[in-house]
Amino acid sequence: MPIAEQGYVHWEGRLDARRRPWRPIARLGIRLAFRRKYFKFVLGMAFLPALIFAAGVYISERIGDFREMLRGADRFLKIDPDFFKAFFASDYLLFWMLIIMVLAGAGLISDDLRHNALQLYFARPLRKKDYLQGKIFTLAFFLLLLTLVPGFLFILLKIIFSGSFAVLAEFPWLPASVAGWSLFAAAFFSLCTLAVSSLSRNRRYASILLIAAYFLSDIFFGIFFGIFRDPHFALLSVKTNLQQVAAAFLGARPLFDVPWAYSAAVLAALAGLAGFVLARRVRGAEVIR
Amino acid sequence: MSLVLKAEKIGKWYGNVLGLSDVTIEIGPGITGLLGPNGAGKSTLLKLLTGQLRPSIGRLTVDGRPVWNNTALFRRIGFCPEQDAFYDEVTGDEFLTGLLRLHGYAEAEARRRAGRALEIVELAGGGDRLIRGYSRGMRQRIKIAQAIAHEPEVLILDEPLSGLDPLSKRKIIRLIKDYRSEGRTVVVSSHVLPEIEALTRSIVLIHQGKILAQGDIPYIRELIDAHPHVVAVRSADPRRLGSLLVADRAVQSVSYGPEENLVTFETRQRDRFFDLLPRVVAESGLDLEEITSPDDNLQAVFDYLVGK
Repeated sequence: MPIAEQGYVHWEGRLDARRRPWRPIARLGIRLAFRRKYFKFVLGMAFLPALIFAAGVYISERIGDFREMLRGADRFLKIDPDFFKAFFASDYLLFWMLIIMVLAGAGLISDDLRHNALQLYFARPLRKKDYLQGKIFTLAFFLLLLTLVPGFLFILLKIIFSGSFAVLAEFPWLPASVAGWSLFAAAFFSLCTLAVSSLSRNRRYASILLIAAYFLSDIFFGIFFGIFRDPHFALLSVKTNLQQVAAAFLGARPLFDVPWAYSAAVLAALAGLAGFVLARRVRGAEVIR
Repeated sequence: MSLVLKAEKIGKWYGNVLGLSDVTIEIGPGITGLLGPNGAGKSTLLKLLTGQLRPSIGRLTVDGRPVWNNTALFRRIGFCPEQDAFYDEVTGDEFLTGLLRLHGYAEAEARRRAGRALEIVELAGGGDRLIRGYSRGMRQRIKIAQAIAHEPEVLILDEPLSGLDPLSKRKIIRLIKDYRSEGRTVVVSSHVLPEIEALTRSIVLIHQGKILAQGDIPYIRELIDAHPHVVAVRSADPRRLGSLLVADRAVQSVSYGPEENLVTFETRQRDRFFDLLPRVVAESGLDLEEITSPDDNLQAVFDYLVGK
């Protein structure tokens, strides 16, 4: 074979030594999410509880000024673990977190499968681990924005409005609980969303599957609980399991008389299954059959 | 030092389906055409070469190091897949910059390289447009741009000319040849013979997962003993020319027609025949109008090898 001259010049610059190859994946995911129709509106809706609860923190310090308006509802404005549980485990917040996952996450892997983008990623110095980290970070970014940021903001506002650290003295575990629950919820939602996304090359199917899994599990719980009145059927519901574990993280009373560890085990099993699905479905080259 | 791709007795199975079998090749600098019909195993071989698939058996190295899972080597390899492989919702510039960032280039350097790659593929004006609005030719060129943007020493292109109009094809052929002239290793796959012929004389023929032949076209042609070379000569007196040459042992057969002035020789000793022909013509004073070798092309070589 002919050997041509070595005319090209090597680049003299240096590559990033602390290379984090997942970052470009995460950045692209976040950027594309914001380009989605209605995404900003949905994100705004998901922030509504945070605004209301932030107002609640303010009012809790000005209870006297608002006494007429509250008419006995002031017991809800005690800033304690139950206040945080009411925020983190609310149906409303969990619903909008799900919708955020559908809009930002359902297509994260299915779009790559549809566009055959995996082979481009994995022909580069990028491992499967880096790819999944990038995708998880995309979702975790939005989820932590809705949980971790408001959680710490409430604590900060309470300290500012009260002018003391009494809330931390009374509940010293609260910051760790807020961080722990936020990270747990982010990891669970991200893994499950990505696993569902990897099951289809069509983001619409992935979206439908996500919503169906969330609501059907709750409907089944409602049906069985209605018939048998046994709170253990709460374990069938993704939403209720999340609420039980949230209460446990925050040191609050759970909604149902079922050990929170059972719910944690159900969620861990689902996350484990999601991890297994991801490991099987995400591969660089398509397998020809 | 240029990179050499070396496969030693590699095989790849997908369950019970054979993708590649007992493939041993060595590919050095310059353009090498990987030629075979659809389903021959070209894409499998390319995915093995780019480290996206692990060989079921055998050893595959680039620069002496195994490719599989060797992410450090991936920096030195550029891969252009056969299918479109990008998000429609990003601009060409964003697409390239994002992929360059995966190599570890800083944002500014990634942007600079993306701009340069777009210039090379003549897409500089379209970098800020969404890929959704790109034509087929532009999409193919942006795919090539992503493969060359990090200036790899090995460029692997899977069917880069498929589905393009003639003008776009010419642009891409020129681009690939320019890349070769810089001393790099380029592997191009195609199932279309003229496309490979336009790019290179150095080919690897692959069929049903096996390498049929490797080398330049005349060399492979020489290897095919079972099929004599065909030489067609146009002359004012073809019958006289035939009678003068038929006695020589270099000539295996002579046939006339279909046109009146055409005589076709079959020979197993091409060099001897081409020594003999001008000598006989000069001595006899015959006029020759044209000498052609209709089977000295890739189509003929390929047809012989796959037994058509």
